[in-house]
Formats: sequence, structure tokens, C-alpha cells
Amino acid sequence: MTLKKHITAVALTTALAATATVASAQSEEPIQFGLCFDLSKSYTFVTPQVAQAAQDLAMYVNDNGGIEGHPIEIIVRDHGNEPQRGVECYEQLKRDGVFIFNFMSTPVTNAVLPRAMNDENILMQSFVGRGDAVDGEVFEWVFPVGPTYWQQAANDVAFIKEQLDGDLSDAKIGFIYLDYPFGQEPIEILRTLSEREGFELELYPVPLPGSDQSGAWSSIRRDQPDYVISWLLASGHVVASKEMRRNRFPIDRYIAVNWFNEVDIANIGAEEATGILRGTNVAGGQEVPLVRLMLDTYYADGNGSGPESLVRDVYYNTGLAMYSTAFEAARIAVAEDGWPLTPESMKNAYESLSGFDGDGVMAPVTVTPEDHGGGGKTRIEQWDGEAWVPLTDWSADYLDIVWEVIKESSESFSVE
Amino acid sequence: MFYRLSGVHHANYVSDSRIFKVPADRNLAVFVLLFGLAAPFIVPSLYLNSYMLPWLIWTAAALGLNLVTGWAGQLHLGYAAVMAVGAYASIHAARFGIPWEFALIIGGLASSVIGSLFAFAALRVKGLYLALTTLAMQFVMDWVLTHSPAITGGSHASLQSPTLALLGQDITSDTGYYYVAFGWCVLVTIFMLNLKRTGLGRALVAVREKDFAAAILGVNSFYYKILAFATSSFIAGVSGALLVATFFFLAAPEQFSVAVSIQVLAMVIVGGLGSIIGSYMGVALILLVPGIVNGLVSGSSQSLGMQINVETLAHIPNAVYGALIVIILLIEPLGLGKLYGNIRDYLMVWPFDQLRK
Repeated sequence: MTLKKHITAVALTTALAATATVASAQSEEPIQFGLCFDLSKSYTFVTPQVAQAAQDLAMYVNDNGGIEGHPIEIIVRDHGNEPQRGVECYEQLKRDGVFIFNFMSTPVTNAVLPRAMNDENILMQSFVGRGDAVDGEVFEWVFPVGPTYWQQAANDVAFIKEQLDGDLSDAKIGFIYLDYPFGQEPIEILRTLSEREGFELELYPVPLPGSDQSGAWSSIRRDQPDYVISWLLASGHVVASKEMRRNRFPIDRYIAVNWFNEVDIANIGAEEATGILRGTNVAGGQEVPLVRLMLDTYYADGNGSGPESLVRDVYYNTGLAMYSTAFEAARIAVAEDGWPLTPESMKNAYESLSGFDGDGVMAPVTVTPEDHGGGGKTRIEQWDGEAWVPLTDWSADYLDIVWEVIKESSESFSVE
Repeated sequence: MFYRLSGVHHANYVSDSRIFKVPADRNLAVFVLLFGLAAPFIVPSLYLNSYMLPWLIWTAAALGLNLVTGWAGQLHLGYAAVMAVGAYASIHAARFGIPWEFALIIGGLASSVIGSLFAFAALRVKGLYLALTTLAMQFVMDWVLTHSPAITGGSHASLQSPTLALLGQDITSDTGYYYVAFGWCVLVTIFMLNLKRTGLGRALVAVREKDFAAAILGVNSFYYKILAFATSSFIAGVSGALLVATFFFLAAPEQFSVAVSIQVLAMVIVGGLGSIIGSYMGVALILLVPGIVNGLVSGSSQSLGMQINVETLAHIPNAVYGALIVIILLIEPLGLGKLYGNIRDYLMVWPFDQLRK
């Protein structure tokens, strides 16, 4: 009798334990984010920082109970900026159950876009890929939260207008750009704006990779534009700063695109770069609450996901901006629609983000089913020799013109 | 033992110019063909659509380059540009409403015309000078693509491909795409296998070995060089179009950049100049091994619980992959095709050949 009781008790406990394990396993099912990045070729100036930011932020969320109890899993893979390997990474992670992807490369994002749209998986593509993807009515599954290059250029023009006392009618704006799609993208919007505002637009194409700009800057010296907007990448800004000095162009009239970080400043020389301007949607520096939090929680005792030097870089803040938005969306999705998280609930949650700014790490974004970009706000910051000082508040201007261009471009896209 | 040679006699020219002189080779080819046909039913879909499909299309393309570089001996550094011409021509044709069958042929012909136009200019020079001229062609093409939104599809430079449809059948499944790629690769392979046996193939080899010696023999080397360029460009054009239609679904200039040209040339050289099976192996090595090594390295570091920086993790496979190419070319400078040939020769009359030594 006692033996029988004993066996029953053991069996019961086992059964209970088994149920408990199942229950806990269910609540611990992770939320997976696929990061197929170019960590070995062209985009290495930004991807390590973004990946590290994503890992740090995920670690912080997991240490604080995860998203409604579910831990976040960050899966990082290299695709070497080759579209074929990007597709391979997508197909592989898709089969592992990942449905939130980020490729951080324009060629790869373009190659994967038709598949992601077809499979109805979430594609994060801030700053890369086609700009018209902010049109949420066409690109339902693509979330390029942040400004398009069109919007950013328009905001730059709005800033110049403000500096020139609200009148651009006899202003001259130069546009120096890398002569391939990345650099050519804002031209159309600048032309439209020049017609509306009456300023003179001068174009200065620079051949890839942007190390030879002498011809362009000679023309700039001749034309004497009031401001120069620059769509160059990384070292292109360093070359430009040398040319500005050679051609006596004031460096505080140079507005760089958002791809301009601390490494480039160091290469120009912190002192030398004083006065240079940058358009951005992400707050730079380490005094941003989220960055401070990461530094204090993990890096103070050497527990970060990577070297601390990468944290002291605006692209780390960019990574925090992208992933704080994504995690917030995931949190809303699980809170509203419950577990399991699906692409559908994630999409709805993204589209319900309102005035979210990641505790000051970026411009507040309000994502809607129509506008997946979140409003496209940016600001102009100036380097004062030690840090970036914001000159304006977060704002987005000329929305009508920008959206006209977006609509015109997106209507030619259709999923087959 | 593996290759039964007993009873294999070639008593006349027809029998001696067979594609497969040894039955074992034919059996192997038939086996591979059957495996290829059955692949969608036995290979997991991940491997089918992200490894085998691009592998087959790139093999067809590499065979085209092998025709001009391996057979005719003309170094070509602008092959991706020729593929781009085909891809854009077919997609525009298909978007215009022309059935895909014709669109593909239009793409091939457009590539052929542009490829041979360049050849006309390029063939006044030889060797390294020809390499540079073809490289220039690549840059001209790149420039044209990034500066003509009408061709590349607006300011984002990405042009969507309409749904592929062949013989009145819409092709939308992974299996369908695979069979299209497989069919094209088989076609090109059969063409290349037969090329060896034709007057054209022999003329190309003569031109490769010494073009003026060929001229003395009555082979018009200029004509054959142009022909080689035109044919290889046709293959490139159709392959480029199929690559977009079955794999990328939209065309962007980066898919046909100078890096891709160099990659295809690497496929041909690592595989072996003038070797068909080598092209298959070379493409597998250059195209697929980086991804596979990457998966292996990240998988093993995960299972070993090593805390490796993501950046370091991404560079280790590149180092392994680079070392692999160097080692292969050190062991056998004539490429993977020759490596296979060596093994085959060793086993040809095994073990009797070895007994004698």
C-alpha cells in the first residue's frame, strides 16, 4: 500500500513538474530579431555599432523581465553586402521562425524586399533601401522608421531658409553628392524646392568612392553658394573638409547627411571640424539617457556586448533608436494582442506608435498605416569642437512636396 | 573497376567523337541529371531556393564566360555588364507585355549585340590590354545604369520583374523557379559539351593557342573571336534575365557591378579554364562556400559558447574562404576541374595501373 502511494506520489510530481516545465518554456519562448548585416565589406562603418546597440538593448530588456516575460534573441549574421547571401540569410532565418528582419544594406534590402513582401514578414530598413517604402499603403510590411533622404534634404533646405531670414529667392545652394543612386536620390526634391522657393541650385557630382573632389570644390569656389548640402559617406566628409580649407569655403556652411560620425570627426581633427553641420534624426553623444544607461549598467564593469569605443559613436545611438522602436512595437503587440507575437500584430503595433522617442535618443516618431517613416523629423546639429550642439528642434518641412515624390515613386511598385 | 573500359573500342570517327567515351562518365551524367530532376522532392526547400537555384544560374553564366575565356582564350572583365544588358532588356520587354519566352530571347540578343560591339573595339588588342578594355566596358555600363532612370526604374534604381510565365504557365513556386533554372543550365551544358566536337569549338581552341597560327591554317581568328563574344554574351544575357526573374525578382545595378564580374571570372579560373564540370565546381566554391563557412563558424562558436565579437565572427569565414582558394590553386593551378580529372585518371584502370609501379 505504501509503495503504491509512493509510486502515485512520484508519478504525480513528475506529471506536475512536466506541466510546469511546459508552462515556463512557453512563457520563455523568445522573440527573435534577425540581423543579416554586412559586417565584412562596405557597410562596416556602421553595422558593428548597430549590432552592438541591439545586443546591449536586448540584454537590458532581458535582465528586466523581457517583453511581457519573453526574452529577446538577437541573431546576427554576415552577408558581406552580397544580395545572394542576403537572400540566403533571409531564407534560413525565416525557416528558424524569425519574422523581423533588418539588412542594413541597400543592395541586399532591395533584393530581399519582394520576398519579405510576399511572405508578409516585417522588414526594418531605416536609412537604407528605397525611400518610397515609407508609403505604408504600398509597402505594408516595410518599416523604414526615420527620415527618407528626400525628407532629410527638404529639412536641410528649411534650415537654410531659416538662417537666411526666411527668404531663399536670391540664395544659392550647392549640392555635393556621390554620383550613384544614394547621392542622386535627393536631386529631384531639391529641384522642386528650388522652383518653389526660387533659390539657385548647383549640382556637384563626385565619382565613387569620393576621394577625389578637387574638381567639385573648384567649381564651388567659383560659384560661391551660400550653403553646401553634402550627400557623401564617411571618408568623403574628411576629403571635403580638406578641400573646404584649400578653397576657403567656410566649414559652418557645410551640412552633412546623417552618415557622419565621431570617427570622421577624429579624422578631420576635432578642432579643425569646429562649426561643421549635420542633419540627423538621432541625438548624438553619450548624455542621451539610453546611452548613459548602457554605459552605467554594463560598460562601467566591462559587461557590454562589445568594445566601449563603439558606444561612443553616433551610429550606436542610431542602433538604439532603431531597436528601441522595434522593441517598443513588440511590447505593444504582445500587450495588446497577446502571445504569440505574429507579423500581423507586430505590424499593427508599429503602426500604433505615437510620439515615441526612445527617451530622447531620436526625433519623436508617430507611425501610421499610411506613413511608416514616422513623420521624418530631423534637426541640424553643429560640432563645437567637443560635442554636437543642436541648432534646431526636431521638425519636418515641405511634407506636401516630399509626399508627392513618395507617392509618385511608390505607385509604380506592385507585388506580383 | 570504377570505369569499366573492357569492350570499349572506338573503331570509327563517329564513335571516337562521342560526348562520353566511357560508359561510366555517361552514367554519372545521367545520375546527376536524374538527381537534378528529383531535387525538389528530396532537397529541403531552403537548399533548393537559396543554394541550388543560384548555383545553377551562375553555372550557366560561368559556362558562357568559359566559352570566351576558356575556349577562345579572350580575357573578359566586363561579363556582369553583359548580364545586366540581358536582364534589363528582358524585363523591359516583359513589362511591355511581350511573352517571357521572347523577352528572354530579346535579352539574349541585346546582350549579344552590345557584347560583340564591344568586342569589335576590344579585339584590336590582346591579353592584358583586352582585359582592361573589357573592364572599361563594365564601367561604361555601370555609369549608363546609374544615370538613366528610364532603364533602371526611377531614382531608386530598382526595376521589378513581372511574374515569370513560360508556355502559358505562370511560374510562382520555388519548384517552378528551380526547374526553369535547371532547364537553362542543362541547355547551356549540352551546348558546351557539344561545342568541343564541332568545327567551331576546334577553331576557337586554335585561336586560343595562337591566333596567327590559326590564321595560317585558314581560321579567320577575328570572325571566331567575335562569334565567341556574341555567343557567350547571349548566354550571359539570358542567365542575367533568369537570375532576376527567378531569384531577385527585381533588378538593381549593384547586382551586376564590377565586383560581380570579377567573381564570375574567379568562378571560371578556380573551376578550370575550358572545363565544364570545373565550372560547376568553381561556382559552388565561389558562390556558396562563403555562406556555408559562415554558417559553420557561427554555429560552432554558438555551440561552444564562445563570446566572439560579431565583427570578428564575420571576418573568420572570409579568411578561411580565401585560404581555401589559395590552397586549391596551389595544389592544382588548373582548377577544380583538373583536380577532378586527376582523380578520374587515377581511378581509370585502378588497381592495375597502381600494381605496375
